[in-house]
Amino acid sequence: MSEVARIRVALADDAALLRESLAAALAARSFDVVGQAADVPELLKIVERERPEVVVVDVRMPPTHTTEGLEAAREIRARHPGTAVLVLSQYIETQYAVDLVRDDPAGIGYLLKDRVARLSDLADAVRRVASGGTVIDPEVVALLLGRPRRHSPLDELTTRERQILGLMAEGLSNPAIADRLHVELKTIEGHVGVIFSKLGLGPSAEGHRRVLAVLAYLRR
Amino acid sequence: MTAKAASAAPIETFESNRSGMRIAVVCAIYLVIVVVANTLPLVTPNTFMPQVTLVNQGYQLVLWLIWLAVLVESMVRQPSSPLWKLVFAYMALAQLWTLRYVGNPVVWSIGWATYPIQIAALVHLIVAFPSGHLRGRLDRAVVGAYYAYLIAISIAMSLIVRNVDLCQPTCHEQVFAAFADDGLAEWAGRANVIPPLVLAPGIFISLWRHWRYANPAARQVLAPVAVALPIVTVATALEYIGRNFWIEEISAFFESPLQPIPHLVMPIAFLIGVTRLRLNRTRVADLVVEFGRGIPIGGLRDALAQALGDPTLELAFTAPSGDGNVDASGRAVELPADTVGRAVTPLEWDGELLGVLIHDPAIEADDPGLVEAVSSAARLAIENERLAAQVRAQLEEVRASRARIVEAGDTERRRIERDLHDGAQQRLVALALRLQLAKETAAGAASLLDEATAEVQTAIGEVRDLARGLHPPILTEAGLRAAITALAERTPVPVTVDVPARRYPSTIETTAYFVVAEILTNVVRHARATDISVIATEAEGRLLVTIRDNGRGGADETRGSGLRGLRDRLAAVGGTLNINSPHDDGTTVTAAIPFT
Repeated sequence: MSEVARIRVALADDAALLRESLAAALAARSFDVVGQAADVPELLKIVERERPEVVVVDVRMPPTHTTEGLEAAREIRARHPGTAVLVLSQYIETQYAVDLVRDDPAGIGYLLKDRVARLSDLADAVRRVASGGTVIDPEVVALLLGRPRRHSPLDELTTRERQILGLMAEGLSNPAIADRLHVELKTIEGHVGVIFSKLGLGPSAEGHRRVLAVLAYLRR
Repeated sequence: MTAKAASAAPIETFESNRSGMRIAVVCAIYLVIVVVANTLPLVTPNTFMPQVTLVNQGYQLVLWLIWLAVLVESMVRQPSSPLWKLVFAYMALAQLWTLRYVGNPVVWSIGWATYPIQIAALVHLIVAFPSGHLRGRLDRAVVGAYYAYLIAISIAMSLIVRNVDLCQPTCHEQVFAAFADDGLAEWAGRANVIPPLVLAPGIFISLWRHWRYANPAARQVLAPVAVALPIVTVATALEYIGRNFWIEEISAFFESPLQPIPHLVMPIAFLIGVTRLRLNRTRVADLVVEFGRGIPIGGLRDALAQALGDPTLELAFTAPSGDGNVDASGRAVELPADTVGRAVTPLEWDGELLGVLIHDPAIEADDPGLVEAVSSAARLAIENERLAAQVRAQLEEVRASRARIVEAGDTERRRIERDLHDGAQQRLVALALRLQLAKETAAGAASLLDEATAEVQTAIGEVRDLARGLHPPILTEAGLRAAITALAERTPVPVTVDVPARRYPSTIETTAYFVVAEILTNVVRHARATDISVIATEAEGRLLVTIRDNGRGGADETRGSGLRGLRDRLAAVGGTLNINSPHDDGTTVTAAIPFT
């Protein structure tokens, strides 16, 4: 991996031990950690100064330790639209995830904090948002997919189609899904077409719009 | 009250005409009895006939006149009370005594056998004085015991005693002596005065109880009888001892012309007592005066018990919840299930039931309207005491609720402790073990570390779920609608959520949230529902949260502590919980929470 490819990352978490561990882990995976912050104002300063490509921020930050991370994400996106943000959250709340990505799903993610224990998942998510993708944690998607419904077209989907719908909701592109499931891209494209027609969603939904359309559908 | 007072005078005039007639008739009957009873022995005397002396006859005459005066006074003063009937009954029974001097053996045998019963009638009169009623178990027991004993002993004695009194000049054979036994008769004759004397403390206790519950006016009436009773008891005891053990000094007195004096004490006491009786209605006036002076909270029952002359009276107020009754100290009171022996008079004003009086039905029978008159006079005091009782009852409820909240907190703490120990802690211990293993076995390290990681993931998930169950951050951060929607997502039954997006004070949101959470848990667990709706609306400053399901209904509120806890939680913010759960027709739970 060349020096040029290293992605510049800023970290924010008020728990120092976890923050340092994250930094070390990201560095081990060839990320360039350009700054670490313990609270939102500090993070904003680092972003201003270092212009990182990706900001990884904990959802719980001082002073109230509730959802300051989500606010910070909005703030950063408003000030520096090109900056990708990955929010690490303790909460499996579909509303938080959907609200976060709703305005502009390009380069934004909502990942459960547990997930960072699997370094490859974290690294993958950071790379996806860095390249303008969307990341919705699989557990959040599972909650959306699994919620009880009365007579839904979702019942018409095959197991495979549900799986693909879930991956779309997580923010994966068709090639990424094909890669994940080890099948041909064309097969995935076929499946996606069937899913959209079964759910009555317009075929025009592409890229980031697709994530929003799927999430909106699942939140219905 | 005022209408009653205005109409009282003409009615009493009318009544006094009628009662005058009645007095005349009763006196005439009594005179006939006296004349017949005293003439029969003169016409056909037997050898028992005592010497006719001026002292004896004069004494008899005085005795009759005093009792006659007692009878007339009691009829005048308390025409509706059964007191005069008891006086009359005693006077008539006392005349049976004279039959023992009649020549005919059957007649004198009857006279001889029945004379002890007058003692029971006198005891009855003393215990029932001045109301004419036996109130409470003790009164009935004492009087009942006298009647039972004296009737039984009279029958027994007539069966075994052959010769009665002095055998001069010839012995009279008692006609009922079917089992004549002279030895037994001798023994029984001496012994049979003892049981009535043994029972005498019962009369004293009864009288003492009446005294305790009596107001000053009632004590004035009771006092002469209370003084006379020990005198007569002692005199009777002395007479018995003197006669049976031949103690000269004592028996000499009872042979002397002074002998009748103790017998005059009781009728004179009654006469004084009766003349101190006032009309029942003046008790109401006494009560009004007493209320004017002010009575202590909790003292109302005693005041009413005195005014109505019923020591067993109970006063119960409608409970603050509108369900059941409480006494002045806020404790629950059961109304008597059977109306036998107890009467229940509702205390009602302006269509509102304030409480009930539980009392002796005889009061109403004696003097119709007295209970109502007394409770009208006591209205303000009753209202006062009812409010005080309600406050106490609410306090009791709050105390109980507080205790339950503390208990619920402890239970919750235990549950969290258990969950942490059984879940996260176990996993972390397992993790530590695996890490140790990984260190020791380099070869299998990768897979052991994978397992360890999985273990940690699960522990993290458990801790997260536990934390969310304690208090969902989304509630504080995003409000009731978001939190209930999130709750609905986790419910395995489809839930329609219709909740206002606005924010409410945090206690209100938390209360509403936990109501919904608890009810949804219950529905999933018990109702077998396939469809749930959670609808919140606002009405008159209250947040109404309705959770409706299409399950099997028949929710049992007494089962489990969940609903109890919800009621407490709601009560803490002034809210209420209403559960409608008809069998097989779904359940609708509505919580009303004031939020302004």
